[in-house]
Amino acid sequence: MSDDSHALKPEKSLLGLMRPDHSRGWVDWLTTVDHKKIGIMYGLAGLFFFIVGGIEVMLIRIQLAQPELNFISAQAYNQLFTMHGTTMIFLGAMPLIAAFFNFMVPLQIGARDVAFPRLNAFSLWVFMAGALVLNISWLFQLFYLFGWFDPIGGKDIVPSVGWFGYAPITTTEFSGIGSDFWVFGLQILGIASIAASLNFIVTILNMRAPGLTMMRLPVFTWMALVTSFLIIFAFPALTIALLELMFDRLFETNFFRVEQGGQPILWQHLFWVFGHPEVYILILPAMGIISEILPAFSRKPLFGYPIIVFSGAVIGFLGFAVWSHHMFTTGLGNIATAAFSLLTMAIAVPTGVKIFNWVGTIWGGRIKFTVPMIYAVGFIWMFMMGGFSGIMHSAAPADAQQQDTYFVVAHFHYVIIGGIVMALFGGLYYWLPKITGKMWEGKLGYWAVGFVVVGLNLTFGPMHWLGLLGMPRRTHTYLEETGFGTLNLWVTIGAFILAFGLLMVFIDMIILLRKKKTAGKDPWDARTLEWTTDSPPKVYNFHATPVIRSRDAYWYHKHGTPEQKMGWEDEGKGIHMPSQSWFPLLIGIGMAVMGTALSLHSGGVPFMGYIGIAGIVIVALGSYLWVFEGPGGYHIHPDEETSDDNS
Amino acid sequence: MNRILKGMGKFLGLIGILLLAGCDYQSRQSTFDPKGPVALRQLELFNLTVWVCTFIFIFVGGALAYAVWKYRERKSDDPDFKPKQSHGNPLVEIGLIVASILLLVVIAIPTLDAIWYTHDTPDDEASKLGAWYQGELSEGAETEVLEVVVYGLQWWWEFQYPQLGITTANELIIPVGKVVHVELRSRDVLHSFWLPKIAGKVDTIPGRANSMWIQADEEGHYYGQCAEYCGESHAYMLFRADALSNEDFHKWVEHQKTPPKAPDGGDDWGAWISSVNANPDSVKGDDVLEGASLFYSKTCVVCHAIQGAGIAGIGGPDLTHVASRKTLAAGWLDNRKETNDESGDAEIDPEIQLENLTRWIYESENIKPGNRMYIGSVGVQNGLNTLKGTPNEITEEEARKIAIFLQNLK
Repeated sequence: MSDDSHALKPEKSLLGLMRPDHSRGWVDWLTTVDHKKIGIMYGLAGLFFFIVGGIEVMLIRIQLAQPELNFISAQAYNQLFTMHGTTMIFLGAMPLIAAFFNFMVPLQIGARDVAFPRLNAFSLWVFMAGALVLNISWLFQLFYLFGWFDPIGGKDIVPSVGWFGYAPITTTEFSGIGSDFWVFGLQILGIASIAASLNFIVTILNMRAPGLTMMRLPVFTWMALVTSFLIIFAFPALTIALLELMFDRLFETNFFRVEQGGQPILWQHLFWVFGHPEVYILILPAMGIISEILPAFSRKPLFGYPIIVFSGAVIGFLGFAVWSHHMFTTGLGNIATAAFSLLTMAIAVPTGVKIFNWVGTIWGGRIKFTVPMIYAVGFIWMFMMGGFSGIMHSAAPADAQQQDTYFVVAHFHYVIIGGIVMALFGGLYYWLPKITGKMWEGKLGYWAVGFVVVGLNLTFGPMHWLGLLGMPRRTHTYLEETGFGTLNLWVTIGAFILAFGLLMVFIDMIILLRKKKTAGKDPWDARTLEWTTDSPPKVYNFHATPVIRSRDAYWYHKHGTPEQKMGWEDEGKGIHMPSQSWFPLLIGIGMAVMGTALSLHSGGVPFMGYIGIAGIVIVALGSYLWVFEGPGGYHIHPDEETSDDNS
Repeated sequence: MNRILKGMGKFLGLIGILLLAGCDYQSRQSTFDPKGPVALRQLELFNLTVWVCTFIFIFVGGALAYAVWKYRERKSDDPDFKPKQSHGNPLVEIGLIVASILLLVVIAIPTLDAIWYTHDTPDDEASKLGAWYQGELSEGAETEVLEVVVYGLQWWWEFQYPQLGITTANELIIPVGKVVHVELRSRDVLHSFWLPKIAGKVDTIPGRANSMWIQADEEGHYYGQCAEYCGESHAYMLFRADALSNEDFHKWVEHQKTPPKAPDGGDDWGAWISSVNANPDSVKGDDVLEGASLFYSKTCVVCHAIQGAGIAGIGGPDLTHVASRKTLAAGWLDNRKETNDESGDAEIDPEIQLENLTRWIYESENIKPGNRMYIGSVGVQNGLNTLKGTPNEITEEEARKIAIFLQNLK
């Protein structure tokens, strides 16, 4: 292909169909293969479901504010905590992380896009399909309330088995079609995650700019790589578990059905072989974001870069060796309990190393307290608190009192909100100027982070006490005589303060989008490659291939010696861009049809089996057309005037 | 921004004071108040982890706070100042790794010790049944400690004493100061047996048996709860344990083994049933007799057993001595005068008990949503809601009569 005349005309694919290149508006968004647009869509979906999960939990907190309330029914309560957990993890945190991976990893490694742009779009639309299948159950629950819909299995239409779905409560004997929505939803989400991870691994290993060796990679990209490996090793365990459960439910196999000789405990092993690495799948990218923000605003390199990278990888490995610490009360036997206890303690070492090195990064720097930096420092504090209660859990006999109580709820919310959410919002404040091209103004961001930190401590601090005073998790209500009332009221008040803080963040983001003030390429005087591009970056990212001569390449390019300056390769040549495609979206639609229809089929709705098969046919058709439409592609010539920074 | 930080600081301080005030209060399920060796060991281990973590927190948190304060950018500083671009210090890093490993060893050794201690039932001579129990025992039980088989079920508990030949529900009776071995089972989904003041939890899993040991050091009434999510009414699956003196325990066993009186006050249930069959009108006008005959005709006997009465329903709690239990509906409804009494001295109030029994029979769905008595058990039998709208529907008056009959099962 030459880089000449037909540059901006749509092309025909090998099948003779027109490719949707250079389209505008919603067609462009639906068919895009641009990692930045895909990242933005992941981000918007993540923020949307973050709000959905937030509303779910506020209803839970109102219900628990006083003893023996019946604000929502027990069944609705169970559905809300199930969907809160599932939504926040799979539909809130993971897509927000995927958003940053998508947007930032190619920019940080000096690439034009990810290795497989259409596969990237496939991941996005399959993710959307999974999210739809999980949440469409609310619609059918509403139909049930109106009396329009009465499936086999009864009122249990929104999943109510907990985000962990411990067998045998997920079998047809003990739950309704909610479990089918849950199984199909998660299975589809797993496909999206695995495809995306393979894409990032290939991208990071192969598409780094010249001179950007592995030990010069920004830590965020490193953590994206480790996380992607975790996903491709961890998710198959969940896939197997879900398949077995699906077979039990649809075809009456006997993996988990006790009366047929099934072994429900096997579900727990499979689930946590996935579920524990999943915790690190969430926290490692958060640590990566923190490792970007702290050096930028301490104006000094990350302390002990090699050991931070290495400890990230060690956490990844050890993450697969501690799953049974979720099962200390299941009667593992003394030897297994002891082994998992010690391994769990061991994982505190690389985690501690990261905290020490972040303190070391700040030490001797010149700290600028921007909003992202406050999130980052807050992250260290809050994550440390969550880490301490984690150490307390690792002592298995003590954990026997803590397991399945509010102490555990406190622990992982310190890690997830104090850790992951703080890091993700810090990341939003750090990178939104790059993504939107607009710069933050005003004090609202400072107020918001203050409310978030205060609210989260008020919410989850008292939960430690509640758990140790004997309040179990996942309980619809509690007797007045238990004495849990006062603290629960505190927790609910704290939750509203936290929600108010988070609402302020959302308002601040809306204000940002309406601002006129532009960010420029490098508003923070930052250190890594993404800040050399325009804000927002051009569709081709870099007008030429950057040549890297040091870690923190852009910092040394700006402030270092002449030999540390970045160079540019292939300047002035045309840039090959991938063609857009309808077929990832088509496959996503097929998956959504399949998952929804097969779940309804379980509820005895007529013809749904056939529609489910039609969904599978759509998936097959989409894949076939995708394969045979060919790679396509076109060339564009960046306008030299708007090209990258050479100052 | 400084003003915001200061305001926040004041706010946090206030919250801290309030939280400390919150630490004062106790709960009847508090793990801070251990009344048995297992819970005590678990609390000691927890306290150790708290001390180690506090130490680390002071050290790391102090360093972090110092660094944040010391190296912050001040208004008078040059905004373009670039600190020395240092990359780390291997000696410091390795030193910190070694230090953290050492601190973990401090936790690890007592943890290993406690894992074996809390799991393995001690071979305690004084606790063996032969050493203290005078009543009738199953063969070979003299050399064993008391064994209780716990079944976690949706949403109640069954307690079997195989060595003593007793089955009861929702209230576990144990002798004080004696090691008791507990076998944990389930017939439906997962549950978890948890008596916070006596011992940490262990799950009941269908298709396998778990085990633990418990011992109560003081007589009293202990509160427990299912700790593993088990479906719609998981929150309503409570239970109680009474630790009795040796003498009271013997009395309790004796009482459990004595069948309750027949509804007509005699000892022979069979004779009474024959007389009712011969003359159905004989029950009219007497609440106990009417309640008893309703107990048969409204199919209660399908699920509930009454030992010695020839009623051997399966699936529901054994009702042989239901009126001697301090609670109803797996601990959710308390029959006692003082509902938060931990000494175990509070007496059953017959009026509260009647009210509770009546409500439970008449509207169990409103007390424990999804319960099997109301909705029935999948594929096994129908629940009370299937009687709704039929001539067999239970009225509140009938429920009260059944309750009066049940109050006779002392």
